[in-house]
Amino acid sequence: MQETSTKDSETDTKVIDEGVEKGLKGLTPEKIELVINQVLKNETGARLKLYIDTCMRCSLCADACSFFLSNDRAPEFSPAGKVKQTLHEMIRLKGKVSKDTLRNIVRIAHTECNVCKRCSMYCPFGIDIAYMILLVRRICHKLEITPLYIQDTVNSHAATMNQMWVKEDEWIDTLQWQEEDAREEFENLRIPLDKDGADIMYSVIAPEPKFQAGLIYQSAVIHHAADINWTMPSFPGWDNSNMAMFTGDYEISGRIAKAHYEAATKLHVKKIVMGECGHAFRSVFDVGNRWMGWAMPPVDVIHAIEFYHYLLTSGRIKIKDKFKETVTLHDPCNISRGRGLHDKARELVDMLCESFIEMTPNKEHNYCCGAGGGAINCGPPWKINRMVNNREKADQIKRTGAKVLIAPCHNCHSGLEDILHYYDQDMEVKFFGDLIFNAMDKTIYKGGE
Amino acid sequence: MNMHTFIDFIMGEMVIVSFVIFIAGTCGRLLWTFIHINKTENFIFSYLSFKYSLRSILAWLTPFLPVSSRKKPFFYSISYTFHILLFIVPIFLLSHITLFEEYLNWSWISINDTSADILTIIVILCTLFFVTRRVVVKEVKYITRTSDFVFIIIASLPFITGFLAYHQLFAYKIIMIAHVISGEIMLILIPFTRFFHMFIAPIIRAYTGSEFGNVRGAKDW
Amino acid sequence: MKRYLLIIIIIFGISSIVLSNQQSVIDRSVFKNPQRSSALFNHDDHNEKAELEDCAICHHVYEDKKLVEGESSEDDSCSSCHTLKRTEKNIISIRTAFHKRCKRCHFKVSKGPVLCGECHIK
Repeated sequence: MQETSTKDSETDTKVIDEGVEKGLKGLTPEKIELVINQVLKNETGARLKLYIDTCMRCSLCADACSFFLSNDRAPEFSPAGKVKQTLHEMIRLKGKVSKDTLRNIVRIAHTECNVCKRCSMYCPFGIDIAYMILLVRRICHKLEITPLYIQDTVNSHAATMNQMWVKEDEWIDTLQWQEEDAREEFENLRIPLDKDGADIMYSVIAPEPKFQAGLIYQSAVIHHAADINWTMPSFPGWDNSNMAMFTGDYEISGRIAKAHYEAATKLHVKKIVMGECGHAFRSVFDVGNRWMGWAMPPVDVIHAIEFYHYLLTSGRIKIKDKFKETVTLHDPCNISRGRGLHDKARELVDMLCESFIEMTPNKEHNYCCGAGGGAINCGPPWKINRMVNNREKADQIKRTGAKVLIAPCHNCHSGLEDILHYYDQDMEVKFFGDLIFNAMDKTIYKGGE
Repeated sequence: MNMHTFIDFIMGEMVIVSFVIFIAGTCGRLLWTFIHINKTENFIFSYLSFKYSLRSILAWLTPFLPVSSRKKPFFYSISYTFHILLFIVPIFLLSHITLFEEYLNWSWISINDTSADILTIIVILCTLFFVTRRVVVKEVKYITRTSDFVFIIIASLPFITGFLAYHQLFAYKIIMIAHVISGEIMLILIPFTRFFHMFIAPIIRAYTGSEFGNVRGAKDW
Repeated sequence: MKRYLLIIIIIFGISSIVLSNQQSVIDRSVFKNPQRSSALFNHDDHNEKAELEDCAICHHVYEDKKLVEGESSEDDSCSSCHTLKRTEKNIISIRTAFHKRCKRCHFKVSKGPVLCGECHIK
């Protein structure tokens, strides 16, 4: 049991991240200077200059940041304060940054900012501070001082095109195992692999086959019952997650998104439907396409919320028993601020649950779960810091008094479970998929009825 | 150069020079900004949407519409007042219009001197608030640099000297000269310093508003 | 004798009143809502100091926007031509006329008040 009194002292202990330390050891002042200046000179343009030259240092962004609020308004946690300590320091020193400062910079950029873009909504000018933090991470990546655990996921992406070192046969095997299990419930259920010309390609993040295969089972049932012409790729490109996007490894990040889009085009599908994940949606819908030179995604990209909303409103899925307990909803940054799906999410809640209580602030203004932007992927060394830095979110959830928390995003899901546990809150976290699976009428939809 | 020639210069040619530098500098820097965007990050243009740019700018110009402004009503009230008066007072000041008419035979509506006097005091109080906030509020203090104080001083000097000159307190002639020069310095500095935020802010706002509205289907206020 | 003396005293008195009533500020009654104090101006002192002989410098006459040489307008008030507002006929308002008349000359000769508060004293 963690006591409140010990929580503050726990953060005082300096976290040692082996990946960062190892990287720092290999650096020379010349290399640091060279890399920083290379990135600043060759990879930035008008945006950075305008942001830096226009910020009037009014600190209105501070109140937007859950890190700032969770740390009793400590100025070093305000968005502008974080830029001051990281990017501005690099610019001010013209790249001549010491290793100790770099260690500080990595910690701030990777574990004290969720790049959730909430601060852009509090800056009167709309300065994209998350962009600047991501730029710092890009520099850290090039200096090879990215935190160990998240770098491992990137390595996995690079080697296997999925985040969790899932081998190709393991992937196919998992799908077939889920198919087999589900066939006990639905005789003819299939998880169609590589079905050419299907209406939709359904994609998930690698943790699903790795740890949460039941989620694949659930969505197979939902697809089947809704009589959707769907498929999943058996080959690399099936994973829609993208941790490289958050470490600034744009080359790998681009490859990941490209593999995903190529899987969709190879299968000649009309749409990509993505499971309940936020960062993956950001990667495919907002970031990956840009890397490949598409202003907007070349294939329609639909988040699970939109998909479920369609299934329920079109009558393809009928709800038998609404969920009884009072629920509250967490709006994941990447699909509310990132896609404006908060209203559809509320309509879904309304169709699925009997009693709903709002979390405030909400919709575009919701606080990040604290795990996003790669923060949770920095792994166990940073966990306690993440808990402490996320008090505001725990308080926000507590205020609702609900017993069930819907979080339509994998990152949020794990992050919220962590803080609920840490702050001793008795609450269950659920996906929309869980609720639909339990509440749906499990008969197969027949068109025209 | 005797005093009369000097005063004639700062109230005549120098005003024109200041305006020319201000206008040319502004146009030049804006042009350079767009060229720079085009050269380095021209994708920005493909995301700019007129509708969502305007939506965002108008939302942020509407007092107390943005959540940010509702969270800090005191600060925003002062900031709105300050920024509006920064333009209203000098543009509609009778003395300025009189001088303008003298040189260019062109005039417009003015506010009376008593009101202008009160508004000037308000502007000065606003700048005092900004300075205090920079010293007292810890998150603001943390990111404040010397230049931030210099900006506030430069922006407030024309008002302080203007106030003293109107009331003819202390050494009138010197204060009056300081008033004219500080106003001109401010005007000249706009295109070359962070005062330029008055032109860049709408551009950033337009881009952020377009990204939020057009790509992500979300509000940004 | 007494009567003559009385008449002389009265004449002297009246004339001294008239003479001593020589204005030391500009008559601003034409302005509807004056914002500043009347500008300091003593006609005779000014002209003596400035060694002005030609009345028409200030009391000029314009016809069809052209200066009429050799004519002057001492008997007319300034505002009879320079109306409060600019019109088609009068392109210089009374306010601007006063300011220009004084300041242009003062700048030229580098003498006399040129700043607002030097004439409009609080």
